[in-house]
This record gives sequence, structure tokens and C-alpha cells, in this order.
Amino acid sequence: MSILELLGQGFATVLTPAGLGFVFLGVLIGQIVGALPGIGPAAGMALLLPLTFGLDPAIAIMMLAGIMYGGQYGGTLTSVLINVPGEASGVMTAVDGHKLAREGRAGTALSIAAIGSFIAGIGAVIAVTFITPTLSDFALRFNAPEYFLLALLGVTATASLGASPVRALMAGVLGLMIALVGADPLTGAPRLTFGQPALFEGIDFIPVAIGIFGIGEVLASLERSHAMEPIRTRFRDMLPKMSDWVATRAAILRGGIIGLFVGIMPGAGASVASLLAYLTERKFSPHPERFGKGALDGVAAAEAANNSASHGAMIPMLALGIPGSASTAVLLAALILHGVRPGPMLMQQESTLVWGLIASMFVGNLFLLIINLPLAPLFAALLRVPYVYLAPGILALSLVGAYAATLDLGTVWMCIVFGVLGWLMIKFDIPRPPLVLALVLAPMLEMSLRQSLLLSFGSLSIFVERPISAVLLVVVLFSLALPVYGALKRSRART
Amino acid sequence: MRLLAALPALFMIGLSLLVGLGTMGLRYWDGVTPGPAFFPVWLAAAGAVLAVILLVEQFRGHSLGDLDFPDGAGFLRVGATLAAMVGMGLVTPIVGMVPAVALFIGFMLTLVLRQKLVPSLLTAVGVAVGVELVFVRWLGVSLPAIAFPF
Repeated sequence: MSILELLGQGFATVLTPAGLGFVFLGVLIGQIVGALPGIGPAAGMALLLPLTFGLDPAIAIMMLAGIMYGGQYGGTLTSVLINVPGEASGVMTAVDGHKLAREGRAGTALSIAAIGSFIAGIGAVIAVTFITPTLSDFALRFNAPEYFLLALLGVTATASLGASPVRALMAGVLGLMIALVGADPLTGAPRLTFGQPALFEGIDFIPVAIGIFGIGEVLASLERSHAMEPIRTRFRDMLPKMSDWVATRAAILRGGIIGLFVGIMPGAGASVASLLAYLTERKFSPHPERFGKGALDGVAAAEAANNSASHGAMIPMLALGIPGSASTAVLLAALILHGVRPGPMLMQQESTLVWGLIASMFVGNLFLLIINLPLAPLFAALLRVPYVYLAPGILALSLVGAYAATLDLGTVWMCIVFGVLGWLMIKFDIPRPPLVLALVLAPMLEMSLRQSLLLSFGSLSIFVERPISAVLLVVVLFSLALPVYGALKRSRART
Repeated sequence: MRLLAALPALFMIGLSLLVGLGTMGLRYWDGVTPGPAFFPVWLAAAGAVLAVILLVEQFRGHSLGDLDFPDGAGFLRVGATLAAMVGMGLVTPIVGMVPAVALFIGFMLTLVLRQKLVPSLLTAVGVAVGVELVFVRWLGVSLPAIAFPF
């Protein structure tokens, strides 16, 4: 069957009352979660994951994915109207978007951001449609050594692209250590259970994700009182002028392409994409002096990039089973919890789910454009709800959601413990996404390493004898060498 | 400040030791395949090496991180919030989860976040009703109920 026929089948899955309803619900929740400071798309997805257990897996994944990319649209509101990014990928938008809002051009900034996100999002979904099956077919040649190196790359790449590689790698190792708890996957021998039967089945993903992202973030937000006064915007301001569109269309295109490539790379994510697109746009812009003072093309590039990246991250996740970001790590965990086995066979074994998900991203982006263009002032009103009223609700929902996932009060305690860990990680400037990525990748990493060494009778040469694994090994070593080179360069600059 | 900044590295060293010692009784190699202790041993070694690199960097005055700790009032708010969450966990088996949610929200809004009484109580009741409707009525989740019948 051709790709377009499969996509047509995907649309048949989405264009049902349940499909449309849950995609709309997902993007709406994503829009709200993205707009609220203190809770990002990954936290929102983790919080709502237990609520999807009664749903059909395809519908559940479409809804959760909607939260992921809807969060990118929603984050624009807080960035532009109150200069507080709803999530990290909105930082570059806040730089110029809020300046534009203070000049009375909030509506223009929001509408160009929405249109840019939509165009880049649709472009990225087209790329997902055609690249994913090709990559998935190629990945069918992979064996245990390639899987080990791919999973390792998923952990090391987050370090190479972050500000503090050692801290990011430490977070990754911590995630792998958490995953060690429980029965050994091959022999069944208990590991690090310390005689506690409750730990024999290991530590669930849900309390870790909810604690690290949700509770940790809310605790950090509660340290200070939030007196937010969003800049007002009106419906009639939401219609961009032709001159604004002409001035930003190339920025949207460039931002979308950068975002797609960054999104496909494991570990990079929407924050890196928006930063890279913003810096690139400053070089291409006919008026670079406006950057930092209210450049509409800066907003367009950053928003196009972060939405494109969040869709691009779906390619390695769907084709290889390797998450490229914290949000796709949660999505991958959702697949596993719904009984779906990720990896290159996913496209064949779960064709309805995969193509339904891809088709849902076309529909979801359209919903988001409609939500954001005329309804942005309505969502802006949401920002007037005092945060102190929202925070306890988010915490309570986190604990109830954690309980609902396992029907065990022990999960609630686990959630609180990981919430404290998440808060401490924020305070000590330790990045949290590598921990969650590593936790998801840990089973694949360990199993494929042990299988590789079993195949080679303990010889490490198996990783260089196979051409694909040799290339992957070089990429892994490069991802580790890059931060070392950066550190040496900084050290030389200091001396 | 440097001692505070070194805490993550010291924590990782401690954790690496725990992983190493905790898997000592397991086999490192099992016939022709790596045993259950193989991966943990290498992971503990990687954790310890990374922690030492971080400590060395910090000793040389680099990589101290952007430590952002709250003031006394902020610490108090975080501590009280944690205590409220622990309290919710403790009272749930006694009063049931939905009333525990209402108690938690009410406590947080009135005593920790110092909001007005009436809107706080209305919010507490509203969230508890929402939890009952979504989790119990819609999703059919069996949340813990009150332990003693009246």
C-alpha cells in the first residue's frame, strides 16, 4: 500500500466523532498547559496519561500528542503577553514578542506566531509522513549492537547539546540507575530491591515523570508569589497585515526547516530549535538591530522552529523507538503502557495507530490555528486566573493521577519523593529531560548491550565490525567529544 | 556556596556506591552472557567518574551551576506544600481520596498561600467534585473511600 493510501486510512481513524473529539481535547489541553507557567507539555502529558488507560490506544496517543504540540502554541501567549515563557522553547519568543506587545502589537505577534507555527507544523508533518516509513524500513536491518548504540546516543546527545554536559550526563545516569531497580530482565534476579517486595516490579514511569516534571515545577513556582498582569489584546488585532506576512514568510520557512532537523536529532528538542532558528534569522534579517527590541521575524522563526521540532521528534520515536525529547519520551512510555511495542516494526504491526497519529497531527494543527487566531484573547483571559489557585489543583491532580495509574498508594509516595528530586534538580541546575529519556531507554540499552555481548561471546569488536553500528559508534563518540571540545575551548578563552 | 554546589556530585558518588554495593551479590558474567551485575557495575563506574569530573571542575571554580534557592519565606512555602502533600497521603486511607483532595486544597489556599476563605473553600469543593466526576464517575477508577462507615 502506498504512503498516501496509508495516510488516507489514518484520516479515516481521525475523522470520526471520537477521533476528532479527543484530538481537539488534546490540543486544547496542550494550549492551556503551554500557556500556564510552571507546567510544560511533558508534565501535562504525564499527568493525563493515567486518564487515557480506558481509551483505545490510537485515540489515547493522538490525544497525548495533541498536548505535546498544542503546548508549543500555548506557550506563545505567556511569552508575548507577560514575558514569562510557559516552557523553555518559548524563551526566544519572549525576547521580542513581549517587546512587540509593549509597543501595542501583541495581536500581530500572536497571529504571526500562530500562522508560523501552523505552516511549519504542517510542513513537519508532511516530512514525518514520508521520512518515517523510509527510516523504519532501513531500521529493519538493525540488530542488538545498533539498538544499543542508538539508545546510548539518545542519552549522550542530550548532554552534547546542553549547557552543562557533565550535569546532563549525570541526570541520564540517574535515570538509568532508577530503571535498574526491580527484577533483572534476563534472569529475573532481584536488583537493588533491598528486600522490599514492592520494588520487585521496578519503579513505574508515571510517578517519576509526574514527580520530576509536574510536582518539581510547581514547587519551584510556589517559591515566589506570581503577580501576573497580561497585556490586553483584542480580536480585531489578531488579523495580521499583508506587510507583516511578507516580512516574516522567509523566517517561517527557515525556522521550520531548522526546527525539523533539530527535532529529528535525538536529545535536541524544541528549545534548541527555537534558539538556533532565532540566531540564524538574526543573520538573515535585513534589520538585525531590531532583534531583542521587537523583531517580528525573530518571533516567527522561533515559533516556527519550536513547533516544527516537536513534530520532527516524532520521526525517530515512531521509526526507531528512540525518543528525541522529554515529551516524546512520555509519548513512548504511553505506547508501552498501552501495550504497544515501539520500534521499527511499529509501522507494520500498528499501522492504524501510527497513520492515525500522523493524520491527527494535520487535523490538530488546523484546530490550533483556529483556536489561536480568533480565540487568543479568550485564552489570554486564562492568564488572569491567579496562579496560587491553580498550583494546589495541579498538585492534587498529580497525586490522584498517580494513584489512578496503579491503584496503589505507594505510587503517591513515590510521586512525592520524585517531586522533591525534581525540585532539587531545578535548584541545583541539573537538567531533567535526560533523566526521563534515560529511564525510557534503559530497558533497550541494557538488553541490547547484553544481547550484543552474547552474540560476540563477550567481544566489544561487534560494535565496529558491522558498518551501521560502526557509524553509530562514531556518532556517539562525536556526541561525547563535542562537549569536551567546548569545555577545552572555554578553558582556553578564560586563560 | 561551593559545598552546596558540590552536593549533586556527592549525591551521585553515594548513589554509585549504593548501586555497586547493592549488586555485589549478583553475577557479573553468567556463562557466555553478561550477568545481572554487569550493567549496574558499569553504570556505577560511569556515575562515579562523572561526579568526580564535576567535583574537579567545581574545585577549579567552574561548573558551579546556576544555583537558585528561595529565601526563607519561599523555603517555608515549599516545606509547607510538601507537608500538605504528605498529609494528603496520610489521611487518604482514613477519610478517602476525594475528601483528602478537598482538605489539601483548602489547607494550601487558606494557610500556605493565604488566600481569602470563601473563594478558597469554593475552589477546594470544586476541585474535589471535579476529581469525583472525572476519575470515579467517568473513568470508573476506584479511589480509596472513607475507612469507617457512619
